[in-house]
Amino acid sequence: MNALLLHTLHQTFFGGVAAAGFAVLFNCKPRNLPFYYGAGALALAIRTIGQQFGFSLAVASFFAALLLAIGDRAIRNLHTPSGSVLPLVGAIAMLPGSLAAKVFVNVFAFLRTGQSPGLPATVLIWEDSTMLIFTLASIGTGLALPSLIPAAKTKGEN
Amino acid sequence: MPDALTIPPIDEVARLCLSTGQLLLQNGASGRAVHEAMEDIAHAFDCDSVDVFCQHAAILVMIRRRDESCMQMAHAAEHGVNLRRTSAARQIVRDLAAKKRDCAESQVLIDRVPETTPEYPLWFVCLSTGLACSAFGRLLGADWPAFFPILIGSSFGQWIRHTLFHQRHNSFIIAGIVSFHSAFVAGLGARLLGSIHVLVSTVSAVLLLVPGVAVLNAQIDILEGKPNLAAARALRVVYLLMFMALGLAIAQALVLP
Repeated sequence: MNALLLHTLHQTFFGGVAAAGFAVLFNCKPRNLPFYYGAGALALAIRTIGQQFGFSLAVASFFAALLLAIGDRAIRNLHTPSGSVLPLVGAIAMLPGSLAAKVFVNVFAFLRTGQSPGLPATVLIWEDSTMLIFTLASIGTGLALPSLIPAAKTKGEN
Repeated sequence: MPDALTIPPIDEVARLCLSTGQLLLQNGASGRAVHEAMEDIAHAFDCDSVDVFCQHAAILVMIRRRDESCMQMAHAAEHGVNLRRTSAARQIVRDLAAKKRDCAESQVLIDRVPETTPEYPLWFVCLSTGLACSAFGRLLGADWPAFFPILIGSSFGQWIRHTLFHQRHNSFIIAGIVSFHSAFVAGLGARLLGSIHVLVSTVSAVLLLVPGVAVLNAQIDILEGKPNLAAARALRVVYLLMFMALGLAIAQALVLP
C-alpha cells in the first residue's frame, strides 16, 4: 500500500515538473506556472491511480485528460468554446513520447536487420504502435469532449 | 454597433482578421481558436458574414458587409508554440469586441506582438526543458544517476534547437541533429555515472522534440470538423518523430553498451 502511494506521489510530483518545464518552453506567463504544474501533477495522479485499478494506459489517460478538461471549464466558466490551454499543457506530461520513439527505433532496427528478427519484431512494433495511437487518440478525445458538448447546445439554441 | 464614422474599409477588416489568424496559427492555437478570433473581429466591425478556411500553410478569409465583399489569403509560416503571443492576440480581439480599440490601432498592436511579447531568458528555457526531460526520465523509471545527464543532454539540445531555428534551418533536420546530440550526451553521461538505465536516458533526453501541442491540436481539429488542417498537422508530426527517432537510433548505436 505504501509503495503504491509513494509511486503515485512520485509520478504526481514529476508529472507536475514536466508540465511546468514545458510551460516555460511554450513561453507561458510566469504567474501561471503553478497552475500548469498543478495540471500536470493532477493528470499524472489520475492516470497512475487509474493504472493501479487495472486500466490500460489508453483508458487511464483518457479519464485523466477528460477530468482535466472538465475541471478547467468548471473552474474558469469560459465564455468561448476554444477555452484555455491549461489542460493541453497539463496533458503534455501524459503524451507517450517514449513509446513513439520506441516504435520508430524498432522500425529502424527492423529495417537495418531485414527479415531476420521475423514475427516477434513486427508484432512488437504493431503492439506498441496500436497502444501509441489509441493513447494519443484517448488524450485528444478526453481534452476535446467537454468543449464539444456546450458548442452543440449553443448551435441548437440558435 | 459602431457608427458609420468608426467602421473601417472592409479590406482593412479582412487584413486584421488574417494577421490575427496567422499569429494564432503560427503560435500553437487550435483551428477553432483561429476561426473564433477571426469571426469576432469581423463581427465587431459590423460584417454580415465571415467564412474562414484555415490550412496548415495558409489562411483564407471572405467577409461580407451589405453589398461589399472582400476575400484575402495569407501564408502561414513555421508553426511553433508561444502561449504569451496567443494570449496577447486574444486580448486584442477581446478589446476589439468590447469596442475599446479601433481597426488601425489593433492592426498595429497585432503586427507588433512578436516584438512586444516578453520571453524567458534562453538559459532559463534550456534549464526548464532539461528539468522537464529529467522528470520524464523519472516517470519512465530512470534511476537517479541518469537524472543529471538527461538534464544536461536535453538542455544542450534545446540550446542547439534555439540556435539552429534562428538560423532558419529546416525543422526536420534540426529535429534529427538535436535528437542525436541530446541522446548522445545523456547516454554517455548516464553510462559514465554508472546508471543502469542508459537506454531510458537517451529516450528521455529527446522528449523535448515531441510536438505535443501539435499532436493534441491535430486531434482537437479532427473532432471539431477541420480534417484538412488536422491531417497536415498529423503528417508533420509523423515526419518530425521519424527524424527524432533517426537521431536517437544513431546516438544509441554509439553509446549503448
